[in-house]
Order: sequence, then C-alpha cells, then structure tokens
Amino acid sequence: MGTDSSVCGQPRCSFCAEPAVFINRRTDLHFCRSHFLAEIRQRVADTIATRNLIVPGDIVAVGLSGGKDSTALLMLLVSLLPAWENVRIVAVTVDEGIHGYREETVRSADLLARTLGVEHRHVTFPDLFGDSLDGILAGREPQACTICGILRKKALAGAARDAGATKLATGHNLDDEAQSVLMNVLRGDLPRLVRDSSADSSGRFIPRIKPLMAVSEKEIAAYLLLRDAWADLPECPYARHALRREVRSMLSSLEYRYPGTMLRLMESKGKIEKACPGAVAAEPLRSCRECGDPCSGELCQFCQLKRTLGRKLSGNLT
Amino acid sequence: MKLILPDRSERVIAGENVPLDTILRNEGINPLEVIVSRNGTLIPEDTVVGGDDVIRLIRIAHGG
Repeated sequence: MGTDSSVCGQPRCSFCAEPAVFINRRTDLHFCRSHFLAEIRQRVADTIATRNLIVPGDIVAVGLSGGKDSTALLMLLVSLLPAWENVRIVAVTVDEGIHGYREETVRSADLLARTLGVEHRHVTFPDLFGDSLDGILAGREPQACTICGILRKKALAGAARDAGATKLATGHNLDDEAQSVLMNVLRGDLPRLVRDSSADSSGRFIPRIKPLMAVSEKEIAAYLLLRDAWADLPECPYARHALRREVRSMLSSLEYRYPGTMLRLMESKGKIEKACPGAVAAEPLRSCRECGDPCSGELCQFCQLKRTLGRKLSGNLT
Repeated sequence: MKLILPDRSERVIAGENVPLDTILRNEGINPLEVIVSRNGTLIPEDTVVGGDDVIRLIRIAHGG
C-alpha cells in the first residue's frame, strides 16, 4: 500500500506508489490508472459471475447507443470475452431520430464497433414505426422519456431477436438503478420495484442484463477518459422533461454528502425482495391480444401506446 | 491557476494549495457530476491545486 501522502498535491494510489486518478469516496480508497481500470473490470466480471448474467453458449446483444454507458459496456464485455466459453457479442444500435443529438452518437457507435471488431446492427424508428421520435413526439415532449422508453425497448428486443441473441445487455449503471429504485418508491410501485428483468423468461422474451449496475456514472466517465475513449457528447434534448432528472440531482447531492447512499438504496431493494417473498403476486405472463408479445395485461405497453397516440405506428413490427 | 468550466469558458482564480473539492463547491458544482483534469491528467477531487495549474472540468452527461 502506498503511504506517502501525495505527489504535487495529488494523492497516491492506495495499492502502489503511483499518483491517484480516482477516489472511491465510500471506501476512501485511491486508485492509480492501472488499478482503477482493473478494479472496474473486476467489478463488472463479479457482477456477471455472481448473478449468472452470461453463461456458456450465450449470444449477447449489446444495446449500443454510442453514449458513454453503452460504450463502456461494450469495451468491458469485449475485454472479458476471452474468459467466457463460446460466447458471442453483437452490438445493436437504435436510431430514434433525435435531430442534433443522435447523429453524433451513432457515428461514435459505428466507430467503436468497427475498432473492436464487433458485429453491428442498426435499426431506426422511421423503419420500425414509420416516423422519427421527433415526429412522434410533436406536442408530447413532456412524455418523451416514457414514449421513447417503450419504443426503444420494442426496437431493441426485435433487433436482439433477429440477431439470435439469448441475452440483451444494456448500459444501466449504479446511478440509473438507484434512481429507478427511488422513483418506484416515490410512485408507490412495489411490483416494479421488485421486478427482475434478468430472470428466466422460459423462452418468451430475451432476458435483459445490466453488467454495469455496480459501477457509478462518474466511474464510467473516468474509465472512458483513462482509456482514451471519452467523447464529449451532447445530452438528449428531451432529458430536461424527465422526473428522473430531478431524482438524479437529488440522489447525486445525497451521495456526495453521504457516500454510499446509492449502494445502500440498491441493498435495500435486495433486502425487500428477500424479506417479502410473495408479498407481490407475480403476474402471469400473457400474450398481447393485438401483437402477441409477452406482457402482464391484455395489451403490451407498445400497443397501449399506439392507442394513446391515436395514430398507427407503422412499420414491420407486428 | 486557470479554470476551464464545462461550458468551455475560462477563468483565472487566485489561490495556493486549495483542495479541488473546495473550488468545485465554491463554483456550485457537485464533484460527482464532473470529472476533472489538471494539465491534461485526471485527478481525484481531494487533490490540492494551485500555482500555474490548468484545471478543466468536464460535465458528465446523463444517458447513453
């Protein structure tokens, strides 16, 4: 362990004599570049192993928007690939059609997949649904994240299915997951709070996995910067409408003042799941009566959205 | 020292041996929402800065 206090005011790594580039405020440990990169890689490997997220023979579709989270996810999964037996990765990019935002991240996704030598598939909202997100949203901007979320989910699931995927990996990080827990508590939505999207689906849908769920947003940004993969990309213009933005700011402030808040929130979710088995009746998986997709009610979210929008979302998804 | 803010505007600020954390809080910035480099190298927020240091703050955009 490094004991000298600092180099030019820069603390030393807790594991060697190199200058630190990152501090984990919860553990008070400092990391130099190489120990930080190794720590993040190991944490993701541990998340995957302990939760059995990827097993031999899996074809993992990675949702690659080209933003920071999915970029880090693909880089980390590719780096871990040699340790897994007979596992293949396919990157899937959904272009929603968000003017002035998505063009740049799609270019970034193309470059990354090419550099890593990963098979890369694209789908677009106009091809799938007959219009861009900008066109679909006109006048409904405050609902942007809800509408986009449903359409993206449908698009990603379809593209993953077409790729023959057995798992669908997304770049949700610790901050995202902690925000979701708090939002579900604020909404009083217990079923959603304890839902496990990576659970066995009996072949009805492709299980979604979140290998970055134990890595914070700041750690992801630092990881990319240290691997020379940081791109100063814009934020989605619709994000300002989301409740999540307020929750994000509040949680981030709490995390700063009380390090470990987000992790404890996630631990609370796990404890609720364990302490209340059966408290929330598992809804039987049904088939949407309009499109046949698996869902919990009579209509899937996509078909409900079609009705709400009062228009036909056309395209080749049925 | 020179401070380059997330909007790329630049400012010279006075101070010797100031913890970066203090500078960020004085600017009203939550250290968890930015990553910071000094003279091009990533530094943790408990680094002490001053002199001719060029401190660049990069806002972490949500999403992706």
